[in-house]
Amino acid sequence: MPQICLYFELHQPLRLAPVPLTTIGSEVPSYFRLTERDDNKVIFSKVAKKSYYPMLRLLRELLATEPKFTFALSLSGVFLDQAQAYEPELIVLLQSLVKTGRVELLSETYYHSLASLYSNTEFAAQIAQHKKMLKKLFGVVPTVFRNTELIYSNAIAEQVAKLKYIGMLTEAVPRYLGDRPPTQVYQSATKSQLHLLLKQAQLSDDIAFRFSDRSWKWFPLSVRQYLEWFKSYGPSECVNLFMDFETFGEHQWEETGIFEFFTAFVSDAIHNEQYVFVTPSTALQTKSAGVYDVPKPISWADVDRDLTAWTGNALQQDTLRIIYSLEEKIIATKNAALLADWRFLQTSDHFYYMCTKWSADGDVHAYFSPYDSPFEAYRQYAVVLAHLLERLE
Amino acid sequence: MQASPTGVFMVGWEYPPHNSGGLGVACQGLTQALAEQNTQIYFTLPYKTGFSASHMEILDCGADLGVLSIAHPPFLAYQTTPISLPEMSSKISPQSYLEEQVAQYTQKVVDQALLHRNSDVIHAHDWMAFPAATKVAEKLKKPFVAQVHSTEYDRIPSGNGSNFIQQTEYEGLQAATRVIAVSYYTKELLIAKYGVPRDKISVVHNGIVPVQLSTAQSPFATKRPVVTFMGRLTMQKGTEFFLQLAQRVLMQIPNALFILAGDGDLYHELLWRVADQQLTASVLFSGFVRDKQRELLLDRSDVFVMPSVSEPFGLVALEAAQRNTPVIVSKQSGVYEAMPSALVADFWDIDLMTQQVVQLLTDTQTHQTQVVAQQSEVSRATWSRAADQVRRVYRTAFLGK
Repeated sequence: MPQICLYFELHQPLRLAPVPLTTIGSEVPSYFRLTERDDNKVIFSKVAKKSYYPMLRLLRELLATEPKFTFALSLSGVFLDQAQAYEPELIVLLQSLVKTGRVELLSETYYHSLASLYSNTEFAAQIAQHKKMLKKLFGVVPTVFRNTELIYSNAIAEQVAKLKYIGMLTEAVPRYLGDRPPTQVYQSATKSQLHLLLKQAQLSDDIAFRFSDRSWKWFPLSVRQYLEWFKSYGPSECVNLFMDFETFGEHQWEETGIFEFFTAFVSDAIHNEQYVFVTPSTALQTKSAGVYDVPKPISWADVDRDLTAWTGNALQQDTLRIIYSLEEKIIATKNAALLADWRFLQTSDHFYYMCTKWSADGDVHAYFSPYDSPFEAYRQYAVVLAHLLERLE
Repeated sequence: MQASPTGVFMVGWEYPPHNSGGLGVACQGLTQALAEQNTQIYFTLPYKTGFSASHMEILDCGADLGVLSIAHPPFLAYQTTPISLPEMSSKISPQSYLEEQVAQYTQKVVDQALLHRNSDVIHAHDWMAFPAATKVAEKLKKPFVAQVHSTEYDRIPSGNGSNFIQQTEYEGLQAATRVIAVSYYTKELLIAKYGVPRDKISVVHNGIVPVQLSTAQSPFATKRPVVTFMGRLTMQKGTEFFLQLAQRVLMQIPNALFILAGDGDLYHELLWRVADQQLTASVLFSGFVRDKQRELLLDRSDVFVMPSVSEPFGLVALEAAQRNTPVIVSKQSGVYEAMPSALVADFWDIDLMTQQVVQLLTDTQTHQTQVVAQQSEVSRATWSRAADQVRRVYRTAFLGK
């Protein structure tokens, strides 16, 4: 009879507009929108319609009918910006959820960036900015941190511990976890201790990735079968189901029955199995079962669960090198527009689009990319970088 | 005695706006000037144009080879790596596909020629048009003028070009009554590689249409010194030497901005190398550009470099000069004959090119002097002069030598 901890990530990047090379040296309206047509709005509103609205309403319903239901959300600042601009009703909906007191909001970097890997000061600044936004919109102060794409390492834990969080979420990677179960609470291998919740990848990905896969042995997945798999865990264990919010309605379309599945899952888990839903801050109160020592960064992405989706090739490495080398200069300008552009250019998705890894992961990458190829993503990003550099001169 | 031919049946391959490079531009400039000199022109193209030209009659000789011939009509002939044919690769190899495409074009052109018999001369541009022109000339018993804008030896400098294409070029040049080369550089190549008799070849340099330079403020207002390459990103065009040059110049002028404008089969490799060498913010790619974007780039460039390994002419260098940009071209380029004030270096001579670029970027006097000298040469490089010379070739061919 394990506990279940749900956390969903809400993030949409601000994608680059096709800024022409021949505008370097003069002003453009925005790096993310050049003309009347706003592609970011088109995409955001589409996803809102398919996923954000229906799933948030469903969650609101479940909170109303199931007094013991609780879960966590993490909302990137870039997501909140766009929600405010394009779909303000979403903010109202989110506020009503948070008001129930049973929806925990997590802390993350405002720009859904990779700053944790490149700059401690920038990392802290973006976390602070995000915190401020949560306070302003929802009146809450988060106590648990989740890094972009669950990226984690001992060094990152050290930074997060300094910021006084009670704990952090990340991935259970066998090469560091060994054969210990991901359903225990662990502690970081750092001086100042941080408690960690690890994603139960199997059960999370059954929903996030395999749910509509017709070649999957368990397709179509029944709630009964799914809950059966939880039975191997004891009452002292917590199954952490972490996934993108867009799983519901966007990655898995409504027609797959994902919404009905989720409703039945929550209701059956509570009433038939007496499973207990907990939020991360509650789950983290448990005593640590041991140290999770992660010398090299991990993430929840791809089969490798490492950073190669963002930093694996030269196209990514050189653009990242340049964007983070500008920190001092940008900050020194005290120019708010420049600073905002620089930070929006740090959103991890820009680098994800440049990924050239082969294998099955390539499909996932292509699905999310607005570009024809990783090369075009790099080319366009390089042009915008040069444009930004010129403004700095 | 009116012995001057006035009707030309011209076999083309590409034409603006569906052009991949200089061939289409040259055909446009030449036919416009010929038309002004009272030449009646039929112009065939291997694809449906969807437009008409006021100065000549365009004959659509599109082949029915499915998607590719429509999507990439002119580009295929200049492809220098194996062509990927998603839908067809399983059935036929690219080589035979190209042969098939040229064969179909030949047939369609012959059909059209029989409907338009009132021409005095058949004029074909490059190898794709040679088989058609040879057949038409035979059928109509008219002289055949073969114009060479580029050969397989230029396009694939490694020497591993297509045998089929080389053979087609050879046969066309043999069958032709007269041959026009776009430069002395090309003339020598035709003599050496294809055994064309020296006195059968006339050299006609390309011209350039005069432009009114825009005085409007350009959005491309970077303060960095700009060094530009424009052309297909292929081995022929010497892109790798441009990249080496960029590295070297950047050591002396760190804020210089190098731009590669164009597309081609080395594109991805070049991107990798730029990123690998940490030059992402110093060497930018614009992709294939035309019209306004192209003008903005050339207008703003401080130096234009054309390090071609083998370049029959290199019209884009004239365009750059026309837009007040000092030009550096490789010795292996024909355009230098029409614009001797351009700086010249062997395509592999990075040392010399580095010196030349640095001097042009740092010494405004040198820069200005070269711009002025180039302009006077550009003003003499007119299409009407080229048309005059082409008509002289027609006459020689028409008179049977």
